[in-house]
Amino acid sequence: MATDNTDPTAEFRKNQSWLFDTTAGAYLRKTVVGLVSIIAFLYILFPLYWMAVTAFKTTREIQQTPPTLFPESPSFEGFRQVIESSLQTGGYAGVVESIFGITVSSAINLDVLGIVFNSLKVSIGAGLIAVVLGTIASYVLSRRDFRGKNALMSILLASLMFPGTAIMVPEWELINTLNLYNTHTSLIFIYGAMTAPFVVWLMKGFFDEFPDSIIEASRIDQCSSVETFWYVIVPMARNSLIASFIFAFLLAWNELVFALTLLDNQNYTVPPGLLTFVQGFNTQWNVVAAASIIVSIPVLLGLAYIQRYFVQGLTGGAIKG
Amino acid sequence: MSYADQTRSAYGNMINRVPESVRVYLPIVPVMVLVGVFILYPITQAIYSSFFSKSLLSPDDAEFVGAANYLEIWTNPDIHQVLWNTFIWVTVGSIAAIIFGFVLGWLLYEKLPYTSVASAIVLIPWVLPRVVGASIWQFMFGGDQGIINELLVQLGIIDEYLVMLGSGELSLWPPIVGMIWRLAPLFALLTLTSLQGIDEHLYEAARMDGATPWEQFRHITLPLMKYNLAIGFLLMLIYNIRNFSMVWVMTEGGPGVSSSTLPVMIYRTAFVDFNVGLASALSVLLFVVLLVFSYYYIKVYDKLQGEF
Repeated sequence: MATDNTDPTAEFRKNQSWLFDTTAGAYLRKTVVGLVSIIAFLYILFPLYWMAVTAFKTTREIQQTPPTLFPESPSFEGFRQVIESSLQTGGYAGVVESIFGITVSSAINLDVLGIVFNSLKVSIGAGLIAVVLGTIASYVLSRRDFRGKNALMSILLASLMFPGTAIMVPEWELINTLNLYNTHTSLIFIYGAMTAPFVVWLMKGFFDEFPDSIIEASRIDQCSSVETFWYVIVPMARNSLIASFIFAFLLAWNELVFALTLLDNQNYTVPPGLLTFVQGFNTQWNVVAAASIIVSIPVLLGLAYIQRYFVQGLTGGAIKG
Repeated sequence: MSYADQTRSAYGNMINRVPESVRVYLPIVPVMVLVGVFILYPITQAIYSSFFSKSLLSPDDAEFVGAANYLEIWTNPDIHQVLWNTFIWVTVGSIAAIIFGFVLGWLLYEKLPYTSVASAIVLIPWVLPRVVGASIWQFMFGGDQGIINELLVQLGIIDEYLVMLGSGELSLWPPIVGMIWRLAPLFALLTLTSLQGIDEHLYEAARMDGATPWEQFRHITLPLMKYNLAIGFLLMLIYNIRNFSMVWVMTEGGPGVSSSTLPVMIYRTAFVDFNVGLASALSVLLFVVLLVFSYYYIKVYDKLQGEF
C-alpha cells in the first residue's frame, strides 16, 4: 500500500498545505497566489510563445498593426527560408537540385546549419577541455594538502568573475599574437579557460564527499592511483561530470563577445551569426524566429537531459560547496 | 611482462623520480596554464595598456601617457552617463530579478504541482542563447509591430505607440526588462534549492510552539537561507554588470550613449573608435568593481562552506 510508506512529515505537510486548506481566509490566499503565479508565468513564458508564434507567421501578417496573437494562416515560410538560405550559403544548392529537382534560391545569406555546426565544434571542444583538465586538478585539490592550495582555489574562483567583456581587448591582442585569429581553436581554449575553474569547484565538491574507504579498497586491490582515478572514481562521478560538461557547453554555445571579436563572418558561431542576421533582416522576423528556434533546440535538449544533474550540481557543488 | 606493463612501469618510474612535493602540483599545471594564459594574462595586459595611448589598428605605436586615460574617464560626460546607466542597470535589474526570482522560487516550492517540470520550464530563459532571448525582446519592444506597445495601449497606460528602443529617454529600460527575464529564473532555482534544503522538522517544531507563518518565515526560512540568498544576490550583481548581449542586440547602446553600460562602452571604444588605451582603462574600472563583488562572493562562499 502506497499510503503505508509515505513519510509522516510529508503527510503532515500535505495536511498543512494551502491546497487542502478550507478555512475562509484560505480562499483569498489561493486567489492571490493564483494571480501571482499567472503573472509570473506569463512574464517568463510569453516571450517564448511569441517567438514560436512569430516563426509560423507570414511576413505580411507580422507587419500588421495591431499584431495577431495567433497566426491566421500558419505557414512554414520562415523555416523554409532558413533552410533554403543555409543550403545555398553552404554550397549545397547544386546537390539538392540534381537529386530532388528543386531549385534553391534565397535572397538571404545565412548558413544556419553552418553556424550550428561551428558552435557544436567549439562547445564540445571547450566542454571536453574544461572537464578533463578541471577534474584532474580538482581531484588533487580535494584529496591532498599542499602549500598554496587555498590561494590557487581563490585565484580560480576570482577568475570566474572576470571573463567576458572586461578582457575582450587584451584577449583580441593575445589571439592575434598567437596567430589564432579567426580560428575555432582560439574560442575552444578561451571558453575552456572560462569554465575550467567552475568545473574545479564543482568537482571538488564531489571529491570532498567521496568516501575514503573506496579508494583504500582499490589500493588494496593493487590499483595505481591513476587506475583508481580512471576505473573507480570517474564512473562514480558520472553525474557531476555530465553536469560540468553541459555547463561548459551552454556557456560556449551562448557566448557572444569573444565570438564576435575573434571570428570573421564565415566562421561565426551561433550568437554572432544570429546577431548579424537580426540586425540585417529586421523586417523578416519570421525568419529570425525560425532560426532562433533551430539554434535553441540543442540547448533545450541539453537542459531537459541534465535538469536533475543541473540542480544537483548547483546545490552539491557550486552552492553548498 | 607485457608491453603494456613495461610502458606503464617506465612511465611510473619517470613519475616516481619527481619528488613528492612537486608531483602533487603536476595535475594542476594544465588548468593553471590554460587559465593563466587566457584569463589572468589578459587582465594584467589590460592594466598595462591602460597607461598608453594606443590604437587597435597600429598597436606598435603605443605611447606612454600615464594617467591620461583615467583623467578622460574622470572628465568625459559621455562616460559619466554610461557609469550612471550602469549603476541604474545593476541596482534596478538585480533587485527586481531577486524579488521576482524569489516569488517564483517560492511558488515552485510549495504552491505549484510538478515542481521539477515547472522549474525546467522556468529555467529556459536562462539557458536560451542570449542573442535569441535578446532578439525576442527587441522584436517585442520594436516600434512598428511591437506587441509591448499594443499591450500598453490596450491596458490604457499609453495612448499611442512609442518609439522605445530609439528614444534617448526610454532606451535604457527595455534591456533591463529583458535582463530581469533572463536572470530571475536563476535566482528562482537558488531559492527553490535552498528552500528544499531546510529541514521540515524545524517548521513542525515551530508550529507546535504556536509560531505564525510569518514568524516561521522570519525566524527559520530567512536565517537558514541567508547565505544562499547572499550568493544569489552577488551573482545577480556580477551577471548584470558584465552583461553585454542584451544591450548590444537590442539597442547597440544607443541612441548616443543613452542605453550604454560599461561593457558596451568598452566594446565601442575599442572596436568602433579603436582607442585601446581608454578601453583598457574602462576595463580596469570594471575589474575593480568586479573584484570588490568577488571578494564578498568568496567571503560568503567560505562562510557557507563552514555552515554545511
